[in-house]
Amino acid sequence: MSRALIVLLVLVGQVAHADDDEKTEEQKMRFVERGDVLTVTSAALTKLFDTAAYDALDSGVASTVVIRIWIYPQGSTDPVAFVLIRRQVSYEPWDEIFYLNLDEPGGRKKLKEKRQADALKRLTAIEDVPIARLSALPFDQIYLLAMQVELNPISKETLAEVRRWLSQGTGGGLDRGGAFFGSFVSVFVNPKIAEADRVLRIRSQPFFRPRP
Amino acid sequence: MTLVAVVLLAGIATRAWAQPPDAPEPPPPDAPEKPAVDAPPIDEPEPEPIDDVVAEPEDTELGPLLQIERIDVEGNTATQDHVVRRVLPIEPGDALRASDKRLQSAKFKVLALGFFRDVKLELKKGSARGQVVLVVTVVERGTIVLNRLWFGSTSLSPYWVGADLSERNLLGLGVTVGGGFIYADSGDVEGARDQWAGEARFAVPTLRGSRFGANASLTLVHGSEAFRVAGVSGDPQNAELRAFPYRRFGGRAGVTYDVTGLTRISGSLRAEQISTELPVAPTQVIAGQPVAIDLHLDPGTSRVVTLGFVYDRDTRPDPILSHSGAHLALGAELGSAFSDYRFATLFGRYEHFWPLRNNKHAIAIKIAGGVVVGNAPRFDRIHIADVNRMLTPRALGLVLSTASPLDILGTKAGKPSYGDLGGHATVEYAVQLFRGRGKKRVYGSDLFFGVGLWGLAETADLRSRDTSLRDALPIDLYVDAGVRLDTDIGIFELTIANALGRVR
Repeated sequence: MSRALIVLLVLVGQVAHADDDEKTEEQKMRFVERGDVLTVTSAALTKLFDTAAYDALDSGVASTVVIRIWIYPQGSTDPVAFVLIRRQVSYEPWDEIFYLNLDEPGGRKKLKEKRQADALKRLTAIEDVPIARLSALPFDQIYLLAMQVELNPISKETLAEVRRWLSQGTGGGLDRGGAFFGSFVSVFVNPKIAEADRVLRIRSQPFFRPRP
Repeated sequence: MTLVAVVLLAGIATRAWAQPPDAPEPPPPDAPEKPAVDAPPIDEPEPEPIDDVVAEPEDTELGPLLQIERIDVEGNTATQDHVVRRVLPIEPGDALRASDKRLQSAKFKVLALGFFRDVKLELKKGSARGQVVLVVTVVERGTIVLNRLWFGSTSLSPYWVGADLSERNLLGLGVTVGGGFIYADSGDVEGARDQWAGEARFAVPTLRGSRFGANASLTLVHGSEAFRVAGVSGDPQNAELRAFPYRRFGGRAGVTYDVTGLTRISGSLRAEQISTELPVAPTQVIAGQPVAIDLHLDPGTSRVVTLGFVYDRDTRPDPILSHSGAHLALGAELGSAFSDYRFATLFGRYEHFWPLRNNKHAIAIKIAGGVVVGNAPRFDRIHIADVNRMLTPRALGLVLSTASPLDILGTKAGKPSYGDLGGHATVEYAVQLFRGRGKKRVYGSDLFFGVGLWGLAETADLRSRDTSLRDALPIDLYVDAGVRLDTDIGIFELTIANALGRVR
């Protein structure tokens, strides 16, 4: 009973905050038809980086930003277009240079930056990014853009490996049968690895293609 | 449109960073511009982003090659340096780029030890150009685990109380020690006595940085087993029960081998001595006639020596609030020539989870079962609480309740307390209540409902019957519902079955 009470008290104190993390931010974006594609320009995604994440850019270990962009018609949850962008940066301590790989529609760009702030800008800028062929976007239909941005995402397999010790049992005992049938409940200091260091969920304002 | 999206997403799922086949090419620089127009605000339901692509990057050859000159471990006050170094996939002398997969995975190899709250990696200038020092900075955390808390009250035992604890990083050496103790007061069953049991465990998850581990345990049980002497169905009155005392003392020693990060095989040797004072000719009165019953123990002192093998593969990304992946465990134990009991047991457990509704719901099948062949001692047979979680589970081998299972389907009356063939199959539906992200102390919670069948039989009883098939079937319904919580202070299941198991 006392365990249940402790858990409930913790839960009451935390559940509201837990919900805050799921919120999607609405952001004004600029959509432009260029040639036969639609491009988007948005405010830089600098909120993805807190002080620790910014400081880690010059740690020498690569930081990765993954941006997924979907275009949805109004009233639907089936995307008509999807773009995957991956940007990676690492710092070379001897030359004091930031190396960047930007994998975007159209291929990979390899860049170098001298300043940390410029590297951050490259990682987080959303400027004229091609997001859909115009042929996939009929006139007058209203669309929304949804964007999910992750800093240093982790694969499901890695997540499984990190927490595997939780399900390995206590490794002893005379009787083995119960271990195959039972469930487990444990109390311990239990830090959990998030699926990414930080996740932003952003939605655009509704937009449509006007007829010529 | 759905088809277009499916084709798009099927394409990108095959390779993490490939663009969708229909992804737009960048426009030429001189392409004419025409802005799209903002539509009036709409009250749009939140589109569900699709969980589509592998998250972790492949090695993309970012930056120049660097050579690891040495590895420094910082921030550890209790944990020895070598405990961290031996799990790193990198050694001094290795040449790598900043994007090397080994460097990306090193943080998680250290976190997987379970000793640290946080791990940071940094490459600093070494003593010569092109050489770097890998600095691993760890933040330690408490490693004492409360594995079990036993308490409850039944007519067989007015109260029982106990706990099982482990220290997973003894003296910072990465060694696990632990143990449990339980005391159970005796009721007024003739022949019963107060029961207690204790266990001590020792484990080295990784032997000198290899994939091998070792473990050993000692267990002492001072118990009494109740058996029914009258009546066949329903909860027995204590007057319908007799008990006999027994003592078990033994140990198990084993080795483990991590085939991969998700697959482990293990082998163990168990030696145990059982001392008991059995009734001379135990019987149960059925329909007015005394019928001899087998208590499945040799009188006096006997010996059990077995060899055991376990295969375990667990692909669930989250073993607590599972919404995807599978867990398979297979175990076999063979009574050896040095044992007074010639028997074999085979147990298996398989769970598979399928995510639904953008991973916010999940459906799972959970199957567990076992078969016991030969002259197995009573304690190695399948107990009814092993397969029916609505009953009080055994604790360190002690039986704490003689309650009968709920008779929901009206099948066989007087289902056995022990059997040699048993298992359960459950379908479970889980609904995500919430997920915390970032540094929240409550990581998530699921509401779940489970329904299934459990069964337990003596194979001898299956060979002949004197009733209809339905009345003879040793199976019944299992239902459960509750809440699972994954928090900073542990893992909790608040379920109906768990509550029933403490009071019946």
